[in-house]
Amino acid sequence: MTNEPGAGARILVVDDEPQIRKLLKVTLSAHGYAVQEAETGEEGVLQASLNHPELIVLDLGLPDLTGMEVLGRIREWSGVPVIVLTAKDREEDKIAALDAGADDYVTKPFGMGELVARIRVALRHTAKVEGEPVIRSGGLSIDLAQRVVELNGERVKLTPTEYEMLKMLASHAGKVVTQRQLLRQVWGDRHDEGDSHYLRIYIGHLRKKLEEDPSQPRLIVTEPGVGYRFLTQD
Amino acid sequence: MDEWEREESNRAGMLEKLADAAEKLPRWSVYTLITLLTALLTIVLRSYAEELEIVNVALIYLFPVLLSAVYAGLAPAIYSAGASVLALDFFFVPPALSFTVADLRYLISFAVYLSAAGLTASLSGRLRQQLIRSRQREEHTALLYAFSRQIGSVADAASLLDGLSRRLAQTIGAEAAMYIPDDAGELRSVREPARPDGPRAREESVVVRLVYEHGEEAGRGTQTLRELPERYMPLRAEGRIYGVLAVKFRDSGTAAGGSAEGTGLSRERERLLEALCGLAAAAIARFRLAEEAKLAHLTAESEKLRTAILDSVSHELRTPLATIVGSATGLIESDGLFTPQDRMELLETIRGGAMRMNRLVQNLLGMVRLESGMLRLRRDWCDVQDLVGVALAQTKDFRGGRKLRISIPDDIPMVRGDEVLLEQMLGNVIGNAIKYSPDGSGIVVEASARGGRLVLSVSDEGPGIPAADEQRIFEKFYRSDSTRHVSGTGLGLAICKGIVDLHGGTISASSRRSSAPPEQIGADGEGGGPQCGSAEGPIGPRGTGGAGTVVTIVLPLEDSPSNRAEIVPGVEANPGESTEKEE
Repeated sequence: MTNEPGAGARILVVDDEPQIRKLLKVTLSAHGYAVQEAETGEEGVLQASLNHPELIVLDLGLPDLTGMEVLGRIREWSGVPVIVLTAKDREEDKIAALDAGADDYVTKPFGMGELVARIRVALRHTAKVEGEPVIRSGGLSIDLAQRVVELNGERVKLTPTEYEMLKMLASHAGKVVTQRQLLRQVWGDRHDEGDSHYLRIYIGHLRKKLEEDPSQPRLIVTEPGVGYRFLTQD
Repeated sequence: MDEWEREESNRAGMLEKLADAAEKLPRWSVYTLITLLTALLTIVLRSYAEELEIVNVALIYLFPVLLSAVYAGLAPAIYSAGASVLALDFFFVPPALSFTVADLRYLISFAVYLSAAGLTASLSGRLRQQLIRSRQREEHTALLYAFSRQIGSVADAASLLDGLSRRLAQTIGAEAAMYIPDDAGELRSVREPARPDGPRAREESVVVRLVYEHGEEAGRGTQTLRELPERYMPLRAEGRIYGVLAVKFRDSGTAAGGSAEGTGLSRERERLLEALCGLAAAAIARFRLAEEAKLAHLTAESEKLRTAILDSVSHELRTPLATIVGSATGLIESDGLFTPQDRMELLETIRGGAMRMNRLVQNLLGMVRLESGMLRLRRDWCDVQDLVGVALAQTKDFRGGRKLRISIPDDIPMVRGDEVLLEQMLGNVIGNAIKYSPDGSGIVVEASARGGRLVLSVSDEGPGIPAADEQRIFEKFYRSDSTRHVSGTGLGLAICKGIVDLHGGTISASSRRSSAPPEQIGADGEGGGPQCGSAEGPIGPRGTGGAGTVVTIVLPLEDSPSNRAEIVPGVEANPGESTEKEE
């Protein structure tokens, strides 16, 4: 854990449920993070400004301020990574939080491994290890400088759009990318809602070219109702 | 003559018609007509005065008297008699052209005229009255008959009563309204739900309530509140009062009510109204009883359902809770007793129990959301491959050693729907296939587009379902008796059905009776092309017992831009092209 980027980072947990706070405190501490707690939205905003945590785990269902308000107030002055905790079936909330600047989300009930993985990814992205010109995952390698994609040593032919999408997903490896973010990245601001249709077509094409089994993808997984996530396999 | 009689008499008979015509004329014109007739007769008789005996003349003068008696009634007949006697006396009895009664014998003619007039008038009047009454009786009988027949055939009480009050209004020429209590016990008119408010309406509602509560008639022609223009009659059947009939007469004064008892109602109409009230009450009673029976049935059903829910949910909640509490306390209280493997097993039990509870809670919440109508579809284009992929990922953890085969054509069009819900639905169906089939058996997920529809099917090699349960397994909380040993709430498929219904599709299940593998599966189980889904093992008949279940979901396909990316500007044709990088 020591050579992990962001190891020992200070994490602020904002949640009104003492049991969730306790769970997060115990497990995240065990993973080597320094955990601070806030019980309410107000307190969360205050602590965020006083202690400058390196990451915030924010429950969207708070009693005083809504999670979205807390997120908005923190985003006014800070780019600290924020992972939101949401209920399973609130896709709108997830998308709204991601659009409002949250870095990722975890749905309750969540496995600890999942949360820790999200935290690591978020911390890694702020640690700006972007210098890496080649992204690897399993047999796949994407050379961003050369714009070359290889699968198991063989060059994969991608159209420019497919490449743009893959680049967008892979450069946010481990992080959820919303459909809107993808559309904006690939089609610019001209895109409209109807374009999500083409997004799905290109994702399908990418999977056919890159996945072993496109109906059980391992590289580009769907986050239902939200977007896609590029997984790195080590 | 009574007004309604005038209205009613529109039936055959020359005599009738003439009588009608005479009655329809204003009074004064009847008398003018009689005067004219007498005058005309006098002129004609005068011109033949030499040839005629005075006796003949006297007899001929009886004519207008009889005529007016038959057609115009008593008073015109008496008037006619007077006119005839005067004309006879003046023009024919010597000395002519004077009223001096030289011969008193002609007074006898006058008496004869008068009595003939009176007798004829009363006879013909009675005859006419009888005719009218019998015709009315026939009409009333027909009305009652039609109504009683309707009671059996009309679906709801309100429309029946509305029709009745309309017919009643036509028949007796009065406005009729039925008041029956609504759910809140408020008496409401079946015809005009929104009556204009006002002191009149309020007064009426007070009277209606009074009649309803006391079961006594009120209004015109009764002992209570007789100054009111309406008549209020309770609808009574078997000692219960079901509503109130209000009859408002068009002639608001009692003066026109020339017929018996001075009530404004003839005995016939009174009898008709009473019979109708009885019938209406019987009709309402019939509907009420039918409703009560239905309600009782529903209550019993929902009682049964509630028990089933409680049983199933409490069992489904308690079992994982018991494992969680048991394992956790075991770990806390006697940590030292366990080997690391034991401890891991207990921890996994805890996780499994919690996951199971999570699934149950999700299903319960899903059901509540479906039933409350709060579920809003977020429609978007969905890639079928992706839907299946996510559904499979959801079921990964409890798939065990079951062999999965996915068959989705490359060119399958996208379907428009709520991605998350469709994935949940597919996940539930696949999860069921896993749950009810033995480990190591095969599960086939297929998709195809046929005739503007997307057909998804999930087949397993489990025990299949009894034909009788094929519909019922989609009912909420229904568990097939054949699968009682498998835990579950009976919610999953009900939710699936709810979701598919919301998308305008259908879902059905059936047993694969033959032991053959599902059709459309290529013979080469293992060698399936990568674009055609994967095959993790051969799927085939597994012994004789495994009939297997096929769940088929059919969703409508909308006209979509489909997979024709190349025709869309700004989207390049896909295959074969390389990125600019590769040069």
